[in-house]
Amino acid sequence: MKRPVLTLYCLLVYAFLLAPILVVVGASFNAGNFLTFPPQGLSLRWYVTFFHNDVFMRAIRTSLWVAAVATVISGTIGTMAALYYVQHAGRWKEAVRIAMLAPLLLPEVLTAIALLFFVYAIGIGTTTMIGMVVGHVLITLPFVFINVSASLESFDPSWDMAARSLGAGRLTRFRRIMLPLIKPGVIGGALFAFIISFDTFTISFMLKGIGTSTLPIQLFDYLRTNFTPEAAAVSTVSIVLTLVVVIVSEKVLGLRIHRF
Amino acid sequence: MTEVSIERLTKTFGSARAVDGISIRIADGEFISLLGPSGCGKTTTLKMIAGFEEASEGAIRFDGKDVVNVPAEKRDIGMVFQNYALFPHMTVDQNLAFGLEMRKIAKPEMLSRIAKVLDMVQLGGYSDRYPNQLSGGQQQRVALARALVIEPKILLLDEPLANLDAKLREEMRVFIRDLQRRVGITTVYVTHDQAEAMTMSDRVVVMFGGRIAQIGAPSDIYERPENLEVAQFVGQVNLVRGTILGGTITGPAGAGKSRVASVFGDVAVDSRADHAPGTAVTLSLRPEAIELKPAGQGGAQGKVMARYYSGSIIDYRIALDSSETLHVQTFPNIRIAEGDRVSVHAPADGFWLLGAAQ
Repeated sequence: MKRPVLTLYCLLVYAFLLAPILVVVGASFNAGNFLTFPPQGLSLRWYVTFFHNDVFMRAIRTSLWVAAVATVISGTIGTMAALYYVQHAGRWKEAVRIAMLAPLLLPEVLTAIALLFFVYAIGIGTTTMIGMVVGHVLITLPFVFINVSASLESFDPSWDMAARSLGAGRLTRFRRIMLPLIKPGVIGGALFAFIISFDTFTISFMLKGIGTSTLPIQLFDYLRTNFTPEAAAVSTVSIVLTLVVVIVSEKVLGLRIHRF
Repeated sequence: MTEVSIERLTKTFGSARAVDGISIRIADGEFISLLGPSGCGKTTTLKMIAGFEEASEGAIRFDGKDVVNVPAEKRDIGMVFQNYALFPHMTVDQNLAFGLEMRKIAKPEMLSRIAKVLDMVQLGGYSDRYPNQLSGGQQQRVALARALVIEPKILLLDEPLANLDAKLREEMRVFIRDLQRRVGITTVYVTHDQAEAMTMSDRVVVMFGGRIAQIGAPSDIYERPENLEVAQFVGQVNLVRGTILGGTITGPAGAGKSRVASVFGDVAVDSRADHAPGTAVTLSLRPEAIELKPAGQGGAQGKVMARYYSGSIIDYRIALDSSETLHVQTFPNIRIAEGDRVSVHAPADGFWLLGAAQ
């Protein structure tokens, strides 16, 4: 430890960030009836309760489903937008960037209310999940856009020209040259999109279909009337799910950046 | 085996004419360089030949067939880029295989062609390396191999040596030239380095402001430049004022020569055009054509203002008594120091008549 002050500072920052999570995880193994920390005895009973709770199970399925669909749509649109932004936007570049990042700049509750008006105005309403998926796509789009355009900025146009000179058509060039080289950006962006969609409350709260619920909303509902360690178990499971998604994508798809 | 014919090729960007109606005929197997300062239109011309830029007007024919409307990926060209543009996520082998896969070449033939070309660029055994595991010179050779392995109609090179250090650059000049001779492929080479263009090319196309200033063999461009701009671009040059004298020069040795009075006396100078007696003209005199002798040995008299030693040659700045300044290059075996008075001799064949004085 060459720099004790700096080391201490870093440890404090980590403690500040991670302590609440540790508290939640710890509380989830509570044997008692109340959400307390430190736990009163160790037990997995609240996990059992959670896995037998149909309402929570339905909510977690809905959350995963919406996050997956939103990620695919957002990943596709965001990547295409980034391509346009980096390669063709010309003097509209700044305008395109601001438009794409607008959902980040606006308070989420405004976006949610505006979308709510909109889905009713065009007659879709909230009887289906369409409105909620659109909302999730909207708020996750900037993350895909930022990540993909960052990796596109380091994509050398002469790679594309070289591939052309070797006889590759547009689709082949995209599939074999560009996509592999911007993959870290696309996957990074998609991960962000998935996690943010899985996590978001406001948009889901306004736009969720009648009778459906995502995990954060269900948890909120639950905590209004109950204060059992089941809530901590739910939170722990959702943290683990998020970690699993990150690790699996890293292993399977590869997040490593090519070093040139 | 391809002959390339470029006819009145023009490229406009808005109102600017980047390339302004140039025509070049490139013979089968010829090595042509497009030489000029940045912004002269040489790269734009190359990109039009490759198909990366659309021609605004004019024709580009490969063996008589106009390819202006053929997209780059169907033109069957091999291209080498300044920054090599190797695919960083592919090994050397995969980089080379890419073009062959596009041509649906069967695997066994693909492997034998890759092996043959890698051998040709002296990179056998590097198949499994990634580009970032290779040196600049090696990457350059892989880029060359990738362009050649598809056996294209023509080979296009865009300043391929610009990113290499001086020593390697000289090696690669010879390497590329020898390789091109062996393969016998029609080649267009873009550079702003006159030495590179001179040593490698069969013919050099000198371009300024989107137009061709001169096309010719390297010796032609160097010894008989079309104008002052060309003369100054392809090497160092001294300008000497003179006046055309009357009277004709007879005999075969005198054909095409003019008699000119100058500070070096009356000299018979090569020229492209005839000028009337009495016309004030500008002569060019290459620094390496001048001979320095100790003072009092005839010729023009002057004084050494500066001396720059650089190993294989010495550069002198000489102030003539007639107030002109000369740049002289000699072998380092003469012992003349700064401040010495000297006699300056210039042989008649060191001069070239550039044209009437401005």
